[in-house]
Amino acid sequence: MEDEKIRVLMSKPGIDGHWRGGIVVSRVLRDAGMELIFGGFQNIEQCVESAIQEDVDVIGLSIHSGAHIAYTKRLIELLEEKGLKDQFLILVGGVIPAQDFTELKEMGVANVYGPGTMTGDIVKFIREKVKK
Amino acid sequence: MWDKEYLEKIREEKEKWDKTIESHKERTDLPFITDSGIPVKRLYTPLDVKGNYLDKVSFPGNAPYTRGVYPNMYRGRVWTMRLFSGHGTPEETNLRWKFLYKQGETGFSAAVDALTFNGIDPTNPDGSPEVGTSGVPLYCIDSLFALAKDIPIDKISVALVVEPFTSAPVCAMYFNMAQMKGYDLKSLMGTTQNDILTMTVGYIPYKNVAPNHLLRLACDFIEWTVVMKNVPKWHPINFTGYNYREGGIDAVQELGFVFSSACSHIENLMERGYKPDDFVGRLAFHLAAHKDFFEEIAKYRAARRIWYKLMRDKYEAKDPRNYGFRFHIQTAGSSLTAQTPQVNIIRTAIQALEATLGGCQSLHTNSYDEAICLPSEEAALIALRTQQVISDETRITNTIDPLAGSYYVEWLTDEIEERVWKYMDKIHKVGSIDKALSTGFLYKEMRDAFHKRQTRLEKGEEIMLGVNKYTVPYDECTDVFRTNKEAIRIEQERIRKLKERRDNTKLERILDELRNVCEKEENVMPVVMEATKEGATVGEICDIYREIWGIWEPPLAI
Repeated sequence: MEDEKIRVLMSKPGIDGHWRGGIVVSRVLRDAGMELIFGGFQNIEQCVESAIQEDVDVIGLSIHSGAHIAYTKRLIELLEEKGLKDQFLILVGGVIPAQDFTELKEMGVANVYGPGTMTGDIVKFIREKVKK
Repeated sequence: MWDKEYLEKIREEKEKWDKTIESHKERTDLPFITDSGIPVKRLYTPLDVKGNYLDKVSFPGNAPYTRGVYPNMYRGRVWTMRLFSGHGTPEETNLRWKFLYKQGETGFSAAVDALTFNGIDPTNPDGSPEVGTSGVPLYCIDSLFALAKDIPIDKISVALVVEPFTSAPVCAMYFNMAQMKGYDLKSLMGTTQNDILTMTVGYIPYKNVAPNHLLRLACDFIEWTVVMKNVPKWHPINFTGYNYREGGIDAVQELGFVFSSACSHIENLMERGYKPDDFVGRLAFHLAAHKDFFEEIAKYRAARRIWYKLMRDKYEAKDPRNYGFRFHIQTAGSSLTAQTPQVNIIRTAIQALEATLGGCQSLHTNSYDEAICLPSEEAALIALRTQQVISDETRITNTIDPLAGSYYVEWLTDEIEERVWKYMDKIHKVGSIDKALSTGFLYKEMRDAFHKRQTRLEKGEEIMLGVNKYTVPYDECTDVFRTNKEAIRIEQERIRKLKERRDNTKLERILDELRNVCEKEENVMPVVMEATKEGATVGEICDIYREIWGIWEPPLAI
């Protein structure tokens, strides 16, 4: 279906309240014509649940707590358990040291966005990877 | 401030000068405006400075306090060097504090983790991966003993950076610890942030309660510590414009937010039957030192004048000691980059200079690795040395308010003051600060600020070297300080031991009493003091707030 919108879930795993990044990126994706589902604070179980129910193409995790490895690992494990790992494009953004990019990508994260990211790059990447 | 005839002469000469420069081109890369969007002229002269010296500027320690709250300012003593720090466990944080103290730090400030902020115990799987990752975990009284070990807390002031949702339990644990170590609460010096806006719009709260309850909790704490004189030398609240300024609001909004919030707290306490003079002298502020050098300095000068007018005219405080706007400064974390982080040392030094030229009472300087991780010891030491270079090497402390009399700074001080009053009117029309939150007004202001700033960066209307000019890739350019991975286990074990030791039957009775107090309009502090002394955790106290008042979902705007 040509005119179907790309669907993105923006999820904030854990309890850390640094929200600016998640909100800024959500607006940009929405303005770029994507269907944005703002999950807000979600534990990983809730995040996967929303991703399935909302039938999204992209799961975005916004993490500024330093716990990005733990939360992402849990997400990937849960998706693997459900046999859904390849169904979503997984993106992680936030205060993520460059040293951790490789580990996250090896887990199955498609791209990681650290401090100083230009939001246009995220839009471009999603459009390239999700063909609708 | 000048003779009328002489001003006329200046005006004539200025008109001539304006003509002579018409043919000189000006740069068009960036507009000549302040960070808050105030248009800036090419030149300021005596023509721009309105009013007279004694009414508007006057002397330090004298109304309207434009030049500083104390007559001697840094010639008496320099600002308190207070680095916001905390990571891993209370024991590790204690070591970092002692390290910085040895290197010349003169005040402590506890950065707590997300669980402590939100009243979540480390056994809760929703938050357990974040134990100690963004600050020090302070979940029970034992943590406070570990944090303050070998630190002379009667001689050095301690800032506990917790907000109204957890300020009662965390500070009660601190006060109990101090008493059990033999200190008189009346001798304790320190500050509790206790700022309603930090954990509502600065950060988004996780399972906290509604703003009207947060306002009540904040005021309970002010009432119990300073009005009732249980901890009379404490600063029971620190209106923290810094945290929301970091989201992208401008200098004018920053002051608008903090003053509107302060007014709501004062009015809440007046409704309880107290006079402003009973407590306003203990209220403190925490502002940002951001990127626009002169605008920030003008902001501090304007803030002192606005606060004086609020106290004298609006709240009719009688004691002049209650007119002083005392503030802590944090340099702007959001101005720092993960790209070429060494440049952050320069940014921070310039911002620290703003703070000190602006007459701050206390200062935190960010570490150069701020955009990537919690500060390493090396980065924190450079941040401290940055302040010491200013205090010990530059001689800027020789004279008070050295930028007074600058036509630009005086003009900008007036301009900011005027704009802040207008912005406060805008918030006031929505209602008290809890209403401004619950109606979503402040969330929309923040949302607009987020997007405005991001758009400016992406369009290159605001420069961040390394990010949108002289761009460099984000790479493994600095060592990353990692917090202790064992912190979860250590903190869970700490709670387990505490629960084994305590008298659970007695504690249940006290917690029941807390339920009653929450339902009635009584001050929560006495019973929270009792409960935390008996070993109640921060999570257990906050669970009672949640049970009685319900969990609040903030009206976020995207």
